[in-house]
Amino acid sequence: MTSVELKNVSRVYLGQSGPVYGLSAFDLRIKEGEFVCIVGPSGCGKTTLLNIVAGFEPPDLGDVLIDGEKITGPGTNRFVMFQEHALFPWLNVSQNIMFGLKMAGIQKRERKERTAALLRTVNLSDFSTAWIHELSGGMKQRVALARALIMDPEILLMDEPFAALDSQTRDMLHEEVELVWQRTKKTILFVTHNVREAVRLGTRVILMTAKGGKILREYPIDLPRNRFLEDVEVVKIASQIRDDLRQEVLRASMEEGYHVD
Amino acid sequence: MSIELEEQSDIAKVRFLAQGYHAWRGRAARLGFFILLIALWQIAASLEIWNEVIFPHPKEVADAIVLGMRDGTLPLAIEASMKRLCMGYGISLLIGIPLGLLLGRKRLLDDTVGSLAVGLQALPSICWLPMAVLWFGLSETAMQFVIIMGSLMSITLSVRDGVKTIPTLYLRAAGILGATGWRFYWYVLLPASLPAIITGAKLGWSFAWRSLMAAELLYVTSGIGSTLMMGRELHDMALVVAAMILIITIGLLTDRLIFRFGESFIHRRWGFDGRD
Ligand SMILES: Nc1ncnc2c1ncn2[C@@H]1O[C@H](COP(=O)(O)OP(=O)(O)OP(=O)(O)O)[C@@H](O)[C@H]1O
Ligand SMILES: [Mg+2]
Repeated sequence: MTSVELKNVSRVYLGQSGPVYGLSAFDLRIKEGEFVCIVGPSGCGKTTLLNIVAGFEPPDLGDVLIDGEKITGPGTNRFVMFQEHALFPWLNVSQNIMFGLKMAGIQKRERKERTAALLRTVNLSDFSTAWIHELSGGMKQRVALARALIMDPEILLMDEPFAALDSQTRDMLHEEVELVWQRTKKTILFVTHNVREAVRLGTRVILMTAKGGKILREYPIDLPRNRFLEDVEVVKIASQIRDDLRQEVLRASMEEGYHVD
Repeated sequence: MSIELEEQSDIAKVRFLAQGYHAWRGRAARLGFFILLIALWQIAASLEIWNEVIFPHPKEVADAIVLGMRDGTLPLAIEASMKRLCMGYGISLLIGIPLGLLLGRKRLLDDTVGSLAVGLQALPSICWLPMAVLWFGLSETAMQFVIIMGSLMSITLSVRDGVKTIPTLYLRAAGILGATGWRFYWYVLLPASLPAIITGAKLGWSFAWRSLMAAELLYVTSGIGSTLMMGRELHDMALVVAAMILIITIGLLTDRLIFRFGESFIHRRWGFDGRD
């Protein structure tokens, strides 16, 4: 139950090919308990946004406020599910999931119980003692989800968490995330390439510009829960967003073409 | 379904056995090669092209080893060397691993102490012997000092480089999982740098071994290096070669027994090459 506010946030990367805006003069207010989905073309600054809210990178300009307070670095009230899994190779699956609890000094018995419950949630009970490199990409993401949920953070930041999953598993995990969100009223910031996924999950979808790190348009999603990816309404809104996205990509590539000439 | 799985795991077992077969074939080939080498040595020695004093027979060398083992001089020499080595190398590990972890994390420390370590590594450790003898006299301490100076830098620097190449992603994950302070060092930094620690320990061991042999050759006390030197003084070429063979054997055995164990541990957890 925590609000997030970005005020005039800018982040510039000085790469080999000149300066690139990760974010520029970016304003965003996320009320507590909102489920905001970010979509946008590859390289538009979605991961940059999450990194800055997480506190991994300081913004060059502007502030990030959590419940009205300026953040100065990472904190345990925010948890990130990274685009790449970031599981520890020296620990097995269940040790990875319970790592945060161990750091918090929680008793072994409780750790084990909660880990076992989450392993069932993500359908990985048979793999509790497997090493990370023995898992498929989708299995790794499910372990990462379990590791995020066990921390029970106030704000959950998720960077394309379900990109590598088959559709059945993804549907199942959508339901799980939706359930967790409904039950705990966490504030969730969810990045995805999949517009339909964004509409299915979010209370609001934000489309970013292809370049320049800005918001292009916002779409409030006032559909009843529980939703499904195949719902007519979901598909309808998603196709509208997808059209806007396509136009934006086209516009950006045209612009690039003019620069070359 | 379960029958299929059983069959499949049988196939996996066969594949596992096949790997074992390849490993054994490799071992057999190695053994054959060395037998051939000794045979050639035997032939060369029997042709008597060189004087026996400078080119001993394999049998004489074998006799020297057997005799040395029987009368206890070789076991004593090995024991003396290994004691020094284990003390010196152990101290190097105890200092080098934590120091490397710190250097990898603390910029200021790396710019100062780290660059000193890089500089000292350029100095062959045996160059410390004169100083060590002036400081500690002709003592075990002097020998151990040389071993430490030989292995400490390479352990420290390997661990430091390992820490520096830990993926940022792990460090970020550690932070939000609440691993801070000593917990961060113990539960994240140390295990994450295990591959580098094993590389460093291995490198450090070979440096320690070389330093010790150099020190024992120069400063005759006891130990396997001194046995080698004694052979030279007695013009006992068989003893010289015997000591050399022992030095090689000890070096190889430790590599096989200790470090292979560590490497297979990493292999099991990390997957193939210790990089995720
Ligand atoms: N460390 C960096 N150095 C230089 N440029 C960077 C760095 N990190 C990001 N960028 C640039 O910033 C822009 C935004 O990157 P970001 O990772 O936020 O994109 P993204 O929207 O997450 O893309 P994707 O959907 O492909 O994950 C990109 O153009 C990228 O090239
Ligand atoms: Mg990204």
